Amino acid sequence: MPKHESQLGDNLNKSRLSNEQLLGLWVEEQLSESQQHEFEQRCLQDEGFAKQVETYNIFAVQSEHYHSNEVPNWNRESTFDMPQKAKWWQWQGLPTLSFATSMLAIVMVLTGLQVRMEDGAMTISFSDKQSTQEIDRLVDERLAEFQQVQQLALTEYTQAMSKQQMDTSTQLTQYLLGASRKERREDFAELIKYVNEQRGDDQLFYARQLNKLQQDIYAKPDQIGTINE
Amino acid sequence: MFEKTDEQLIAKALQGNKQAWLNLLKRYEKPIYHYGMRMTGKNEDALDLMQEVFISVFRNLASYRNEGSFKSWLFRIAHFRCIEFYRRKKPTQGLDDTPEIESDEISAADSIHTSQENKQLVSAMQQLPMSQKAVVELKFFGQFTFDEIAEQTGISANTAKSRLYGALEKLKTLMEVDYA
Repeated sequence: MPKHESQLGDNLNKSRLSNEQLLGLWVEEQLSESQQHEFEQRCLQDEGFAKQVETYNIFAVQSEHYHSNEVPNWNRESTFDMPQKAKWWQWQGLPTLSFATSMLAIVMVLTGLQVRMEDGAMTISFSDKQSTQEIDRLVDERLAEFQQVQQLALTEYTQAMSKQQMDTSTQLTQYLLGASRKERREDFAELIKYVNEQRGDDQLFYARQLNKLQQDIYAKPDQIGTINE
Repeated sequence: MFEKTDEQLIAKALQGNKQAWLNLLKRYEKPIYHYGMRMTGKNEDALDLMQEVFISVFRNLASYRNEGSFKSWLFRIAHFRCIEFYRRKKPTQGLDDTPEIESDEISAADSIHTSQENKQLVSAMQQLPMSQKAVVELKFFGQFTFDEIAEQTGISANTAKSRLYGALEKLKTLMEVDYA
């Protein structure tokens, strides 16, 4: 770089660097050659700046000689603030899980979700309408139930009818038997009566004949021998 | 016997190894305690601050990503805890405000923990505003560069230089008084 350009650059740097920046560069030992020159110049020309540098040096020396006493005894273990393992009910994800399941429940209710396990197959439906299969199954179920009830009623009715018929037959038989016995008894009574009447008539006839005979005998005794002869 | 690195101790501490954490703590408690001593000027405050710093460091240990030295990370946390501590202790004072005169004296109780050589230095620092004190502390005692100071305190490097310059201006007067 030509000499006049270098001087120009330095002049620009001079105009740019404030006391604070120059001191900052010096503190961190980052001064370039020209900045070093400027620093020295400023120390000579600016008493305030020189005092700042001096103060820095004094303070730096004091800080180097700072006597680090031992730390007083203190409760070191109190800083070991190991968080205890949270209980399962204190699990951070629990509110989220709860919220998610609530949302799922709401969605299931709103969409009418139905999950069915049938014959080893799982059916998920999002409609609250019952499927044809389900209706058929319900109808079959009801019909079977109805049929069973009807069958039972019919059996009971049949049994009742059968019993009633049997009772009626028994009653009829008994009636018939009773009636025929009575008729026969009446018939025999009539017959006996008739026979008795006949016998009475006969006895009466024989009695008359005997009377007549007696009268004849008594009335015409001489004819008896003729007759006997 | 080989001394374990900071990273090894951190890894063990994160696994719940108390001894590893205590070893790491003992390695850095002295610089942090003296940092607190210089920043607060009181032994009790320095101990409280140190405890807060290490509790905070332990809680954030998992977020330490080995980017930069552990010491830098530790002092960054210490700086923020110190600012919080200062705001809690002096809620009406801004970070750029010059502290009240009462803090310039070191109490008799604190003198026990402060040697004669340190007394003047600590006393002088107590008269600087918190913003300047932080830069002086990190520059002279932490031996950090302006860029590192800027990163740790969340300001620009030029602001850090300005604050150091301003602090030296005040210290110059204080030193003159002390030497007179």
